Amino acid sequence: MKSSVKLGLILAIFAATACASLAIVYQITKPAIEAQEGQALASSLKELFPEAESHEDITSAVTSTDPSVTIQNAFLVKSALAPLGVAIKATGASYKGPATLLVGVRLDRSITGVRVLDLSDTPGLGGNASNATYYVNKENKITFPGQFTGKYITDKFEVKSDVIPITAATVTSKALTKIVKTASASAGAWLESMALGGAAPSATSGASVKEGQ
Amino acid sequence: MKNLWKIFKAGLIFENPLLVLMIGICSSLAVTSNVSNGLGMGLAMTFVLLFSEIFISAFRKVIPNGARLPIFIIIIAAFTTIVDLVMKAYFPALSKSMGVFIPLIVVNCIIMGRVEAFSSKQKVLPSIFDALGMGLGYTWVLIVISAVRELLGNGTFAGIQVMPASYTPILFFILPPGGFLIFGLLMAANNGIKSALKKREARQAKQLPDMREAKENA
Repeated sequence: MKSSVKLGLILAIFAATACASLAIVYQITKPAIEAQEGQALASSLKELFPEAESHEDITSAVTSTDPSVTIQNAFLVKSALAPLGVAIKATGASYKGPATLLVGVRLDRSITGVRVLDLSDTPGLGGNASNATYYVNKENKITFPGQFTGKYITDKFEVKSDVIPITAATVTSKALTKIVKTASASAGAWLESMALGGAAPSATSGASVKEGQ
Repeated sequence: MKNLWKIFKAGLIFENPLLVLMIGICSSLAVTSNVSNGLGMGLAMTFVLLFSEIFISAFRKVIPNGARLPIFIIIIAAFTTIVDLVMKAYFPALSKSMGVFIPLIVVNCIIMGRVEAFSSKQKVLPSIFDALGMGLGYTWVLIVISAVRELLGNGTFAGIQVMPASYTPILFFILPPGGFLIFGLLMAANNGIKSALKKREARQAKQLPDMREAKENA
């Protein structure tokens, strides 16, 4: 009995020391980690919206239109003068685990761009979605995420119809397309609810007014 | 000193954790699709191994036998978390591409095996050499596997295009089977080196008494 108490005590001392040292390292690295994350976010927002000056976190206000796609973060991106659009970081299941994309939607409901932030699919097949030199449209040098730029959120987003798939990676192509579709639809829904921007595709403009009231 | 060198050398070739002891293989095949990952993983692993061995060897007399495994795990986990945090803070790209394999160093059998078999019974200095030998033994194997896989499977070395543009990457090498193939070939090569070294040693051992005899005769 006595020896087991002693064992426990020694174990507790080791655990407490380890905890204390980890707390110190955590405190030291925390600002650097946060700075890295902030910088990565700011630069990717800047890529989607070159005029971006600031952003506002609206994560809690945006809800996913599809339960299989999770919205990690959502930002209202603004220039010095006015809001530019919404950027959404969304995660969904892909071939080899979760994939995370950053999707930017302008006030006119068009997609400014899609960035692949995190993808663990097979390199050389599905992994080509994040390869900047893999083109689904070789003549015009359009990458898989690049083809979404300029699409409207009311488009079909169907692989092999209006989305060109990656060769031999249908699962990845479909999964990523679904994430883009859900993220942009969610962004659109939020813009409607805030009555921000005139929806360019005529079908949605009426709805936006209705919802605004 | 000679003894320490022997301990160090054991980890590199004769008792190489991957090629001879065959432990910790899962992480080594998973991260070796490019050279910078292989190098980063190897160094992270060496760091954790080194500090875990130093600490456990230094405290080996206070660590009660009955609770040694949980204490080892606490120490290993603490150093792994430190590596993870430092990499996230200062090498974000590397940390991202290695994903879950850095936290998984905690359960890497190489560390647990060396700590249990070596440093919990040895003094600090030999433990340092054992950790460096094992860690670098792990690292060089990772670098070689990843260099071959990246070069043949992607046409690049550490992200830089080396193969001519006309070269079509052989996907097979990036995929897991390619990893296994190269791993097997390396194992065979290491066995070859090992037996060659042993033969040389045996020959030298034979020559020594011969020379002594010759001297005595003269």
